[in-house]
Amino acid sequence: MPSVQDWINNPLGVVDGAFAQNNSGAEWEKKVVEYFKEKLKVNGAQSWVPSLNDVPLHYLKPNSLVKFRCMIQDMFDPEFFMGVYETVDSSTNSKVLRCGKYKDVTDCGQVDFNSRNAVTSERQTFYCVPIPGESQWVKENYACSSQARVVPSTSYTPNRHKRSYEEDDEMDTQAQQENKLNSGPPNVDSHRNVESKRLETEAPSQNNSPSRCSSNLDLNFPLPGEQGPACLVKVYEGWDGFKLNDMLEVFGILSVDPALSLMADDKEASSLLDPTESMETVEEQRAHSPPASLVPRIHMLYAQPLKHNNPLLPSAVSEDKGAFLSGVLSELTSVRSELLTYLTHIFLGDSLAAEYLILHLISSVYARRDVLPLGKFTLNVSGCPHSSPYTDQLYQIIQQLVPSSYQICMSLHNMNNQRMVPRKDYTANRLVSGTLQLASNTSLFLDETQLEQGQLDATGVRNITALGNLISWQKVDYDFNYHQMEFPCNINVLIVSEGRSLLPSDCQVHLRPALSPPNLEEYLKTVQLAQASSQLNKYRVYFTVARSLDYNISDQITKAVEEDFVEMRKDDPQSVSAEDLHRMLIVARLLSLSYGQTSLSRENWIKAKQMEMMRISRTQQQKCVNGNEP
Amino acid sequence: MSPSTRLNIGQSKKCKRFLQEFYSEDDSGKKVFKYGAQLVSLAHREQVALVVDLDDVAEEDPELVESVCENTKRYTGLFADAVHELLPEYREREVVAKDALDVYIEHRLMMEARGRDPADTRDFRNQYPSELMRRFEVYFRPPSTLKPKVVRDVKADSIGKLVTVRGIVTRATEVKPMMAVATYTCDQCGAETYQPIASPSFMPLIMCPSQECVTNKSGGRLYLQTRGSKFVKFQELRIQEHSDQVPVGNIPRSMTVYARGENTRVAQPGDHVAVSGVFLPLLRSGFRQAVQGLLSETYLEAHSITLMNKTEDDELGTEDLSEEELRQITEEDFYEKLAGSIAPEIYGHEDVKKALLLLLVGGVEQAPRGMKIRGNINICLMGDPGVAKSQLLSYIDRLAPRSQYTTGRGSSGVGLTAAVMRDPVTGEMTLEGGALVLADLGVCCIDEFDKMADADRTAIHEVMEQQTISIAKAGIMTSLNARCSILAAANPAYGRYNPRKSIEQNIQLPAALLSRFDLLWLIQDKPDTDNDLRLAQHITYVHQHSKQPPTHFTPIDMKLMRRYLTKCKRRQPVVPEPLADYITAAYVEMRKEARVSKDTTFTSARTLLSILRLSTALARLRMVDVVEKEDVNEAMRLMEMSKDSLQADKSNTTRTQRPADVIFSLVRELAGESGKVKAVRMAEAEQKCVSRGFTPAQFQAALDEYEELNVWQINQGRTRITFI
Repeated sequence: MPSVQDWINNPLGVVDGAFAQNNSGAEWEKKVVEYFKEKLKVNGAQSWVPSLNDVPLHYLKPNSLVKFRCMIQDMFDPEFFMGVYETVDSSTNSKVLRCGKYKDVTDCGQVDFNSRNAVTSERQTFYCVPIPGESQWVKENYACSSQARVVPSTSYTPNRHKRSYEEDDEMDTQAQQENKLNSGPPNVDSHRNVESKRLETEAPSQNNSPSRCSSNLDLNFPLPGEQGPACLVKVYEGWDGFKLNDMLEVFGILSVDPALSLMADDKEASSLLDPTESMETVEEQRAHSPPASLVPRIHMLYAQPLKHNNPLLPSAVSEDKGAFLSGVLSELTSVRSELLTYLTHIFLGDSLAAEYLILHLISSVYARRDVLPLGKFTLNVSGCPHSSPYTDQLYQIIQQLVPSSYQICMSLHNMNNQRMVPRKDYTANRLVSGTLQLASNTSLFLDETQLEQGQLDATGVRNITALGNLISWQKVDYDFNYHQMEFPCNINVLIVSEGRSLLPSDCQVHLRPALSPPNLEEYLKTVQLAQASSQLNKYRVYFTVARSLDYNISDQITKAVEEDFVEMRKDDPQSVSAEDLHRMLIVARLLSLSYGQTSLSRENWIKAKQMEMMRISRTQQQKCVNGNEP
Repeated sequence: MSPSTRLNIGQSKKCKRFLQEFYSEDDSGKKVFKYGAQLVSLAHREQVALVVDLDDVAEEDPELVESVCENTKRYTGLFADAVHELLPEYREREVVAKDALDVYIEHRLMMEARGRDPADTRDFRNQYPSELMRRFEVYFRPPSTLKPKVVRDVKADSIGKLVTVRGIVTRATEVKPMMAVATYTCDQCGAETYQPIASPSFMPLIMCPSQECVTNKSGGRLYLQTRGSKFVKFQELRIQEHSDQVPVGNIPRSMTVYARGENTRVAQPGDHVAVSGVFLPLLRSGFRQAVQGLLSETYLEAHSITLMNKTEDDELGTEDLSEEELRQITEEDFYEKLAGSIAPEIYGHEDVKKALLLLLVGGVEQAPRGMKIRGNINICLMGDPGVAKSQLLSYIDRLAPRSQYTTGRGSSGVGLTAAVMRDPVTGEMTLEGGALVLADLGVCCIDEFDKMADADRTAIHEVMEQQTISIAKAGIMTSLNARCSILAAANPAYGRYNPRKSIEQNIQLPAALLSRFDLLWLIQDKPDTDNDLRLAQHITYVHQHSKQPPTHFTPIDMKLMRRYLTKCKRRQPVVPEPLADYITAAYVEMRKEARVSKDTTFTSARTLLSILRLSTALARLRMVDVVEKEDVNEAMRLMEMSKDSLQADKSNTTRTQRPADVIFSLVRELAGESGKVKAVRMAEAEQKCVSRGFTPAQFQAALDEYEELNVWQINQGRTRITFI
């Protein structure tokens, strides 16, 4: 365990030191950033930094280094601040130059606002929320791997009464196992820490819920019912590189100065006197400078974009990534077959549907050709048993496998009332989030079995259109009132329905159960319980790794595929269209990737073709059964 | 005197000189003193704002322009001082006082003149501040060399400078009076005290600072005098950058604009504006300054706010295409290239794309003696599900500078045409335009045209020919302009297009509506080994390299294309006399043919107009002012191809007619017309064939083929075909 480190506990000291050292040049700014980058590169150093995700805010020391795993939900207008300012000590009348970077409030003394030495700089504020739909296991795992020692900064002591959470039971054991695996020397302290932390994370949220209602502060999470801190991240350089909905791990200086909240209060009071004040409405104030105790500020020193939020994979900077990858790749095929068996059980013995689900879960938009996204693979599993908790359980299983996911029950009430598309609120000057504002590679689970007959109103129609656009083009048109703006996204959409879905999909698989257990619920529970957590972890790693593999098609195979296509068209032109070829190539791609192969082989192409044939024949049979005209 | 004040004086002399001496020469060579004239009207209170065009200043003193742009706030003051000093010289007659403040000013001036004592140095607070005495405002118009900036490019280094930004107004406050100079009177000595106010808030004065009160220590209290104070109109706006200026994946930025005086009440939320002004930090005072700590808010102090309607010019920038860009477009086969650049991700459909290109350019509108003949080209795409119709539509929607995309069953109550709505607040009836009205002077893309509501269907008849929408609802009778091209996509009624049925049957639309489309395309998915292979290659390439396969050309950039099309639209080509005969002849021919063959389409007078529209659009595309024969031929070819697409399967059911056979029959028909001679002029024959959609190469091949069969002979010069 590292000793208490200055650069974590007092990063501003480092910044001020660097500033004092070379007063003149601008290099000090770079030096500071470099310094922290270096420090964080050291093996395991990142895990010493306490994370806002799993440590409650009042446990963190103000002005210490923290990290935050988040998604950019909104971007505010740039702020101008004094990068360098001069203070006058009233007693000695001496002037001191100070650095205003990474701070919200002035240090001390009278600030000389008319000083010639003051430098105005610019910074950008991002409103960040925890990654929407992040699975519980991801949170647990991240929390466990953290080695930060956090001492409550206040005298607050958690009352440690034992509570049992039904859903936590399983997680707990798993977390403990993880702990044993992770930390070499037995470490009672850290374990205790985790537990107390959990108690803590629960406690404030419970306390807060009534109080939050009274203050009426909407933290603007994309998904309803989300919890966790939202954060204003102040970015000092390279902000053009960040995009909305990017997943980031931010390292920065925490600022929770109460003066920030004071500012907001003061504004409300003075708004009557000042004509210009009326422009900044109360709503805007509330959105842009909420109380620091609820929405802390982080002054970013360094941020690494997250390609995935899977804690089981080593983070991007560590060196042993290559070794880890090759280890995973070597047993990819065996994991795949285990996974296939597992999913086949889930799908009541339908191995084809299980195959397609694997392909779906590793799909990802890898390129965009003008408007057409390549690599998306929306799956529609039809024939799901109605009026049973099957779909809910299916979602729970998927939740266990992927890092982030969200379920939308497509009931009429939901469709007519949910806000899916984010909308710009000009009075508060912020982007009001919607459920479709999701980070990359989130699994969206649409449950169409919940749909009933009835009237869709204007919102419902808009929501359906938005879902359709999302599926077809992998983009969401955010509503900016005067115009719409396209935001490309990369969301895996899985639709479960009884018949064919009313939404478009890339591929529809009709479920054909091979067995019908008398008690579906029991059956699924036993199947789930049969999976050890170590196995689940393997699957989780599998999905993330398979998705990130590179892929190419050799010229030779390309030729073969082309000839194949022409041949198929010759036999029956109506059966195969350009779209089918598109889909087959995607299936072939995903199939190869699912075996860990990075290029298309003949066998896989043939296998992909066969899978498609089987699937299509199945849907056609289904149509005949239903008596629909083909 | 410090060097800076000396500089000031030098600069203000410059300003004065400029205002007095600047002139331009009008057509007759007379000197026109642009600012002199304005100064006169300022002096008589007939004008309030004086806009100094920095382009004019640049003619006199380019250096001054630079300093103005760098430090605008200061020069506004300097110019205002200069104007203030000059005004009395320009006053030609007595001015009638307009309001209380004028009277006050007059009185004060008189008082000052009366009590003027050279020895008496007055307390500076009791002097009249210059702001109080002025009733004019000075603004700068940025030089044309200063390019408009994007909101996100206005950074800390622009502080204090003159910048121009464009955006959409998202919020505007009420116009409020803002105190510019506060006037106080003392309750003891009656002296007036003035306090110029620069910041948004101020600390009122309490103690009388006049000599009398100070020496007597009478402790006179000051009272604010509203009538004597000067207020300016003040409005705060918030602008947000245009959606096309935002990089992908970013949120549009916004900016606060302060408008004072004459610039207020110019813009409303939703307007597109260009604002030029000074980018300034907002100064807070007192406690707020301490708390806000290191932050400073910024705003743009407006010097001019211009409204823009979001039409082509504003969006694209008015600058013309550069030489290089023109060359890039007007290469060989630019027509194919432009057409190919439409939706390059969709493979094939060259002729459809060509038609869409013409739709974007549009034909020339004619209005002989009050009769209006539309120039906009309407196209309907039909086809089996999944043949990229909607994709073509959405591409056109993005490419066209002004467009609306909608489906036949629009979800809102407004629908396609217009609706009368009751305003929930005032209870007044208001008109709300639908997609067709909003797309005025643009393209309206209507998907699922066949599923349109009946009410809209009747209205669309009018739109497609008269280009207006008439409304007589709820006491509102009006006619709205809807000068838009309609690009419709429709699905066949029975899932697939049945070539044995007529179009009306296939798409359940009345003939009257269908005939209003200039071109009807049926896009079908037909098997063909060559095409299939190329298609397969295309798709596999995309999957292999995740990019477009290299074609023989690189698609033209969308922005460039938009600008080129805008340029094209300015041309108004005419049909020359000789060509008119040719067209009429061709039309008569088509009518004849239509009567003979059992055609599924109609050939009516509308067809003739369509040909004219298409050929003028082609001429526009070539940027010429006269329609040529090739244009007409190409127009007729497109018509022919579109007809062909509708009856494509006929050839399958009977015998496949090779192009050569068709060409032969065409030529024989020609020969039959000319009587006993049995000879045809080669040029004439080729003309005919080309107009029927054959390439000259096909024509030549057919000639050779039949010559070998000894059906006809061709003379040495290859000018005549003689039948044997």
